[in-house]
Amino acid sequence: MRAFVEVQDLRRVFDVSKPLLNRIIEREPRRYLTAVAGVTFDIAQGETFALVGESGSGKSTVARMVVGLLEPSGGTVTIDGTPMEGAASAAERQRLRRRIQMIFQDPYASLNPRWRVDRIVSEPIRAFRLFEGEAAIRARVGELLAFVGLHPEDGRKFPHQFSGGQRQRVAIARALASNAEFIVCDEPTSALDVSVQAQILNLMRDLQDRLGLTYLLISHNLAVVRHMATRIGVMYLGRIVEVAPSRELFGAPKHPYTRMLLDAVPDLAHIGRRREPVRGEIPNPISPPSGCHFNPRCPHANDRCRREVPPLADGVACHAIHEGRLEPGRAETV
Amino acid sequence: MTTPVLSVQDLTVEFVTRRATLRALDRVSFEIGPGEVLGVVGESGAGKSVTGAAVIGLVDPPGRIAGGEVRLSGERIDNLPAEQLRRVRGKRIGMIFQDPLTSLNPLFRIGDQLVETITTHTDLSASAARQRALALLTEVGISAPERRIDSYPHQFSGGMRQRVVIALALCAEPELVIADEPTTALDVSVQAQIITVLKRLCRDHGTAVMLVTHDMGVIGETADRVAVMYAGRVIEVGAVTDVVRHPLHPYAQGLMGAIPTLADTAERLASIPGSMPRLSAIPPGCPFNPRCPYAYAPCTTIRPELKPPGLRAPAVPGRKVACHLYDPALAPEAAAA
Repeated sequence: MRAFVEVQDLRRVFDVSKPLLNRIIEREPRRYLTAVAGVTFDIAQGETFALVGESGSGKSTVARMVVGLLEPSGGTVTIDGTPMEGAASAAERQRLRRRIQMIFQDPYASLNPRWRVDRIVSEPIRAFRLFEGEAAIRARVGELLAFVGLHPEDGRKFPHQFSGGQRQRVAIARALASNAEFIVCDEPTSALDVSVQAQILNLMRDLQDRLGLTYLLISHNLAVVRHMATRIGVMYLGRIVEVAPSRELFGAPKHPYTRMLLDAVPDLAHIGRRREPVRGEIPNPISPPSGCHFNPRCPHANDRCRREVPPLADGVACHAIHEGRLEPGRAETV
Repeated sequence: MTTPVLSVQDLTVEFVTRRATLRALDRVSFEIGPGEVLGVVGESGAGKSVTGAAVIGLVDPPGRIAGGEVRLSGERIDNLPAEQLRRVRGKRIGMIFQDPLTSLNPLFRIGDQLVETITTHTDLSASAARQRALALLTEVGISAPERRIDSYPHQFSGGMRQRVVIALALCAEPELVIADEPTTALDVSVQAQIITVLKRLCRDHGTAVMLVTHDMGVIGETADRVAVMYAGRVIEVGAVTDVVRHPLHPYAQGLMGAIPTLADTAERLASIPGSMPRLSAIPPGCPFNPRCPYAYAPCTTIRPELKPPGLRAPAVPGRKVACHLYDPALAPEAAAA
């Protein structure tokens, strides 16, 4: 399968300096936070690629750069052979944008409370002039609402008249309105209750089967990712530390951070188990550790890990694995 | 049988509004034994947090306790005057809330907050209280507490703050700790640490815990018993392995099937159609009947009581369910006979 989305060495740096006057008085230099430090991955057509990581790992920043909501500080995003910035003409990029949509975490904040649902869903149709004439647009909106399991009549309602799960369905209908092929989902179910989460995840999978959608799924919930993704990238402090097909990642994780994460998740499958206490917390991203970012928490770290950034090779960025000091496998079996 | 640390009987909480009186808790009953962790689970609006608040008399107006009783080690506390109840809170019942930043005063050093709590509830001197605070911080896993005790809450990370909050809750050696979503605001790797600390401390001190959460994973690893809530009622109670592996109530069955797990390879998740009813429109009979695949005539009219199953399930001590399917008098086969 050819890559539909290619992300090359994507970087983003945020300026988190104090105001100029404070810097002069307190004699402090400018300070930068590297949210994403060179991330490379590709997504095949019809695939669900997931990025997992804890807060501060940079996964949402990657999502925002992929859809073009945030300018990258470096690197490129290429979608279906067309680069998102630079080379392509405005018209080309406009065509590209129609094919990319995003579903946000909080369905209470991502829908305009003053607009009726049919106006929300028809906005992309009007913006891209996909249908001519009110009747055609109305018919299309009704079709989209039915698609996501709502009633066409629901279009006359306002967002506040819906529950969280229904609002997320509206957000999905809006994403589909422009005939998008690639949908970036940033924590699409983390604001929802589990029984509703199951409805939305099932809906997302059904739509993928019917429309051949490609998903980039951002989540901190490993169980959700396991259920949805074909391939998974694990992020830690702005870098991808491991990429693997879902089955492989959960069956034989390589990177020590992935293992720690899998071991740490409270899960129904582990009733009453005694756990190994996890060590430490994510360091401050403004002053990350040198070398491999995970080295202060890693039981296998040596001098090289503290000095050199491990490259992502064979799906993992870890010196211990590359040097053969560590075998892939679940933490319990190591 | 020993006296349970916490015994809640038919607790009912109502919110009086202009339009109607909404019943947030409808005759909720459960018990927690010494050293036991009871998980209270449910989706948003099920009434889990109100239950926690009602036990310690912190239901915000216009809400009020409209009936039932709460007993702490056999002694009734729901009808105590405000001043006496205030002394019970903090001393005999410790609280841990979701957001550690809002449960700590940002203007005071954490040591001062701990010392204040200790001297308020015990007769220790200030210097002895400080020693105790240091010991508590060590117990909750804060290394070098001598260096950290004079820091302000903002100098701690989320996980560290929640450890401080646990230390605060345990200051006065309470009989019961109510933890309302203690790990929801934390990252998974930190979540695990906090669960471990909470579990270990309560085991060591013999403290009973009421753990309120929507996260079944946390319950599965922490709780001894679980109470599942739906629309203000407890619909199933039992040992954690029984309820998670073999849920009886159709809602509990749907809920367990809806949770993706790490071991899961299922193509589709089981999902429950619809969503939880609003408090203003709770259906008569069993509140779950409009969403229930097994609903039949009595479900829409007769309220199922929480009692041991008499049919279809082995009688396990402590296992109770509120569903007509398990009631010999009301089950479909009884009607047919």
